[in-house]
Amino acid sequence: MNLADLNPGQTGRVLKVSAVGPLKRRLMDMGIVPGAPAGMLKAAPLGDPIEITIKNYRLSLRRGEAEKIEVEIVS
Amino acid sequence: MKAKTSSSLSPWDIPESFQSLALKPVVVAVAGNPNVGKSTLINALAGVRLQVGNWPGVTVEKKTASCQYRGSRVVFVDLPGVYSLSPYSQEEIIARDFLISGEPDVIINVVDATNLERNIYFTLQLLEIGIPVIVALNMFDEAREKQFRIDTEAMATMLGADVIPTVATQREGLDTLLEKTLAAAAAPVGVKPAGVNYGSDIEEAVHRLSTDLLEREPGIMGKYPRRWLAIKVIEGDAGVLKAIGMAPEDPVRLSATRHLREAHGEDMESLVADLRYGLSSGLVREALSKPVRNKIELTERIDAVVLNRYFGLPFFFIAMWFIFKLTFDISAPFTDWIDGAVSGPLTRQAAFLLTGAGAPAWTVSLAAEGVIGGVGFVLAFTPAIFAMMFFITFLEGSGYMARAAFIMDRAMHAIGLHGRSFIPMLMGFGCNVPAIYATRTLENERDKALTALLIPLMSCGARLPVYVLFTAAFFTASAGTVLWSLYVLGIFLAVLVGMIFKKTLFRGASPLFIMELPPYRLPTLRSLTIHTWEKGKHFLIKAGTYIFAVTIIFWFLLNMPWGVVEKRDSYLGQAGQAMTTVFAPLGFGTWEAAASLISGVIAKEIVVGSMAQIYGVKDEKNKEEGNPSLVSDLKETGGYFFVACRQAVGNVFATIGVASLAAEEKEESAGLKPVLAKTFTPLSAYAFMAFVLLYMPCFVVLIAMRQEFGTWKWAGIAVLYQTGLAWGTAFVIYQGGRLIGLT
Repeated sequence: MNLADLNPGQTGRVLKVSAVGPLKRRLMDMGIVPGAPAGMLKAAPLGDPIEITIKNYRLSLRRGEAEKIEVEIVS
Repeated sequence: MKAKTSSSLSPWDIPESFQSLALKPVVVAVAGNPNVGKSTLINALAGVRLQVGNWPGVTVEKKTASCQYRGSRVVFVDLPGVYSLSPYSQEEIIARDFLISGEPDVIINVVDATNLERNIYFTLQLLEIGIPVIVALNMFDEAREKQFRIDTEAMATMLGADVIPTVATQREGLDTLLEKTLAAAAAPVGVKPAGVNYGSDIEEAVHRLSTDLLEREPGIMGKYPRRWLAIKVIEGDAGVLKAIGMAPEDPVRLSATRHLREAHGEDMESLVADLRYGLSSGLVREALSKPVRNKIELTERIDAVVLNRYFGLPFFFIAMWFIFKLTFDISAPFTDWIDGAVSGPLTRQAAFLLTGAGAPAWTVSLAAEGVIGGVGFVLAFTPAIFAMMFFITFLEGSGYMARAAFIMDRAMHAIGLHGRSFIPMLMGFGCNVPAIYATRTLENERDKALTALLIPLMSCGARLPVYVLFTAAFFTASAGTVLWSLYVLGIFLAVLVGMIFKKTLFRGASPLFIMELPPYRLPTLRSLTIHTWEKGKHFLIKAGTYIFAVTIIFWFLLNMPWGVVEKRDSYLGQAGQAMTTVFAPLGFGTWEAAASLISGVIAKEIVVGSMAQIYGVKDEKNKEEGNPSLVSDLKETGGYFFVACRQAVGNVFATIGVASLAAEEKEESAGLKPVLAKTFTPLSAYAFMAFVLLYMPCFVVLIAMRQEFGTWKWAGIAVLYQTGLAWGTAFVIYQGGRLIGLT
């Protein structure tokens, strides 16, 4: 499953960033690296983008971007 | 000893002692993530002696500031706030190019003490460069409040760099920071920071690459920091490989990284990023102890309301409505005051003095209408620009700007824009000029340009007097609907044009959204005023010069050739006559309409004034005034200033009310209605209004575009596409309307 599939309140662990090029680098620069826990907070009122917590801060990204991040549910 | 003021510093000339420091300025690069208080720190260190310019060739702002400290001159260079030094974003490239240029002697890395892990990831990249790094552990008070215990000594040992707790807003820790910075700059050449050990795998590759490269390309190795270059080559950084003329498959690179690729796969860039994060996590585990259970933070509580699924949107629109009203309602009385003072007393007194001194009539006219009018015209924009910059800075500094982008991104993304484009577009309804300046909140060049191109389609306040005049003359029964339809037409065309541009002019993948939602903070008044003042000053000086020049040119167009009496015979009138055929298919092929439209390039509201002038409707106002004395003029102007202040305050509280349309109608235009009824039909009047809405932006907008983008390219595109769009739309309205039997 991917990061966009998480429900608000769920936490996942990043398994793999399957994006390539600038997107991949940017995601990793922002702390989305394998092993990092990522918590889904909420979606924007219009449904996209989403807000997550990673490395103790809040990050927003579009669903299309979040779909490139494989996660497993932790809690 | 006297400090030398020259700012030129040869690349590798690192001063050897404090004594030599007095001779050359110490260049300090200030680097860090966005939202860590970098600007506040520089302001606190160097006072307000900021110099704002652009990085060469790009629109990214470059700020430098300097101060004297213990006899040394210290120059701070504020680098763009970035999360990394990857080769993909413009800001990152600017930051890294400067950092490896050899110019900076020391790097101050501003770090958010409440968010160590991501910040240290960036610190590690700075340490790779090999210039001394001083870590300013900023917002230390917030960390204390959260009961974070940070072992700065452990951090310093692990990073091999000084770590100084600071609170930039309270000026805490700044002396120590300066002290350490100068000491680091004074360290003898060759004493390199220890650097962080990246583990034997990477270190082995770094070692092999540096020795192999040094052997093969000693010239190149001399130009870059050695360790940094080796790491970039391992990562396969496209920018660096290109700069040193190396292919990713170069045998030297492949052999040095073989063991890495065998163990971890081909993606070296991710391997290194992953490793830095690993080190950063490890460091944070060692140096930071947090209370076990975090209480629910303020940010979380605010977001629960303002980003709420149901309340989020209404709250957003109410907030935007307030900000819009505040920006333009606070500034409006001052704009009117400036306008009144300049066109009334100032012009009058100047004309009086010049006439008294025996100056010929044309000089008096040039001075009064051209020069003073031009200055007044520039000044009239400043209240709105100051007000808007203030609110934009507040939104950015408080953290709500990122939320606004978060809320609006889905809608804006549909027309190829970023969520952040919404606020500049919204401001466009007030005045397009500050709106163009507001595009600087967009990070990406493409988003900025596309937004700036669409802003002029937002019907600004200056177009309203034209609509009011024509609706009052032709559509008394349905004035409201007609007015609305014009605003909707503008928005509809913006969506359409946005989608077309997305597929043509701005083809390619739309930029990433990935954006931090920073914690809410109350911006300090000091930083608000500094930012607002900087932007306002910038406009006055840079744009002001152009605007002034263009108003003078227009004066000549209106008053030349020599001895012209009738407006019809002036260059402007002649141009109007030449263009009648162009406008004929749109239903308003008269030289009067054409000349008014041409003069509307100064500002669209001028269309109304020029029509009054051209059609010979006399402006009664100025005739009856005799020649009031200087004293009475001064008194009057001073009095009006207080009236303006009172109105501004009044407007804040009367924010909900919309200025009545009748108030917009000037006396001069009242006499125009019967004249217009003779030359326009309701259909051609509507086509004319649509044309005024859409045709080329006023020249101040074009100058703002030039200033924001450093090129006339986008301004040129705006002129061409908008005038084409205006003609096409007016044509469809007029000819289409006639086909279905309207008049």
